[in-house]
Amino acid sequence: MAFLISVPFFATDYWITLLVLVLVFAVYSSGWNVFSGLTGYTNFGLAWSIGLSGYVSSLLIADYGVFWPLAWPLGALATSIVSIGVGYILLRIKGVYFAISMVALTEGTRELLGTEYLSPITHGGEGVPFVAGIKLPGLYWAILLVAFLTFLIAYKMTSSEFGLRLLSIREDEQAAETLGIHTTRDKITAFFISAFLVGLAGSIHFTYQNYIDPSFAFSIHLTLTPIVMTLFGGVGTVFGPFLGAALFTFIHEVLWAELTLLYMAAFGALLIVLILFFPQGLLGWMKEKGILPRTRKI
Amino acid sequence: MISFVEILIRGVMLGSVYALVGMGLTLVWGVVGIVNIAHGEFVMLGAYFAFWAFALLNLNPLLSVLFAIPLFFLFGGLVHRGLTERLVKAPELSALILTFGMSILIWNLAQFFWTNTFRSVPYLTGSFPFMGFVFGKSKTVSFGLAVGITAALFLFLKYSKWGKGIRATSQNSEVALVCGIDTIKMRMVTYGMGIALAGAAGAIISLQWVIFPQMGGAYISKAFAIVVLGGLGNIQGALAGGLIIGALEAVVTQYLSAKMAQIIPSLTILVILLLRPTGLFRK
Repeated sequence: MAFLISVPFFATDYWITLLVLVLVFAVYSSGWNVFSGLTGYTNFGLAWSIGLSGYVSSLLIADYGVFWPLAWPLGALATSIVSIGVGYILLRIKGVYFAISMVALTEGTRELLGTEYLSPITHGGEGVPFVAGIKLPGLYWAILLVAFLTFLIAYKMTSSEFGLRLLSIREDEQAAETLGIHTTRDKITAFFISAFLVGLAGSIHFTYQNYIDPSFAFSIHLTLTPIVMTLFGGVGTVFGPFLGAALFTFIHEVLWAELTLLYMAAFGALLIVLILFFPQGLLGWMKEKGILPRTRKI
Repeated sequence: MISFVEILIRGVMLGSVYALVGMGLTLVWGVVGIVNIAHGEFVMLGAYFAFWAFALLNLNPLLSVLFAIPLFFLFGGLVHRGLTERLVKAPELSALILTFGMSILIWNLAQFFWTNTFRSVPYLTGSFPFMGFVFGKSKTVSFGLAVGITAALFLFLKYSKWGKGIRATSQNSEVALVCGIDTIKMRMVTYGMGIALAGAAGAIISLQWVIFPQMGGAYISKAFAIVVLGGLGNIQGALAGGLIIGALEAVVTQYLSAKMAQIIPSLTILVILLLRPTGLFRK
């Protein structure tokens, strides 16, 4: 950890940038995992939380001059509070329908934020270029802090009784309800936490890019990549998303360098192979083989 | 001045093609139990098939539509046997991710081999007047083809041996198995049919719109909205759903804007799932 903190002092900008992105996506992955990995409700709308928080904080910084340490949490808070409402309505829908409805929500919000009718506030489809007054090392430390926080929260959630309740929802929701577990309340809580973490990272992500627009903020890429990363590492585990993010970025750099034109196609093929032969991810596989202890804490 | 009736007719013609895509998706979903996120990509492949057949072999696009059906049927059957059949018993997330991966693979391969250049099949252009309205030739022919294929589909499902087997498998696959129906084969046939519908729809679409690798995305959104509207596995529902979505799109485009019309599929899905999750029509 000390090593990670000291990186900006000796590494080149390229490495710091890479690490920033890895950390951002690690938080996205872990954030996705603490909800979807534990409850089994596949959230295909991660980009929605990311984009919403990104928009709120970016607009606060750009148009209202809010200082970034305030804007980021406000963005995350905004998206997580809306998530409570959305969760209350949408989390009663099960399985595939939930996944589809989250995609619909994301697409709908993206189109909505891009329309002419809302442009006075949102700048419509052209996007918002802005500068937040924080330099690269600062961004790095910020996301490092958020990633560390996320890790702690993920660990606490997964190994606690709350995590156990969520897992029971994944395994058999009806049985869980019969046992007296408040599934709706627990689902919404997990959804809230997920949205907040992901929103924080999202705000930092867009500040790093100095730009936000609807098509990227709500793109399927932001939903899909964290899911794949988590799949790599192991869904429902604590370290899985972080490991997956690191591994994936490494593979991504290699694929991009070697196969530039076909890299997305290779990505798709990789997904297919993964899901057919290694659905539990690296950590899951290791746990099955006995290399790692089969505890929830990892 | 365009009358409302004319807009509706336009919408229905548009919707007939959407319905083909939606029926394919709901068929696969209802019988095989797989959500085929790559469905839009097969539509795209159908469009490219018609384009290349026209460009290289000078094949009449109308014939392409016909040929697309058996071709894509076989293709779909292979894809199913190799990939999707393995995940019939697996949790839903797995099927979602698999077909997601397939979708990415397919359109990126298309982009790699055929580039992003917009293609088109300029076969039927112009319009003709009929009963006081003006109709585009390609749109009318498309509508006719869509109606024909839909009718064939319904007749097949109702009267043919395989059609009955498919319906049995969708109602209760274990009992169907006990009755001696080869459910694995039925699923393969169904998936093939779903893809055949997508491919045929794509070929029909090539007559009217531009063709490019990412075009599948728009169709999968509408297909989902149609499936949700009509009710999962409900083919007649999907037909109606397709027409409704087409009509809505035509009306919103005319009175609001084309951009606002993009919100329709998403809005439809959310509204239906919240108010009437089983779809508008009873099975």
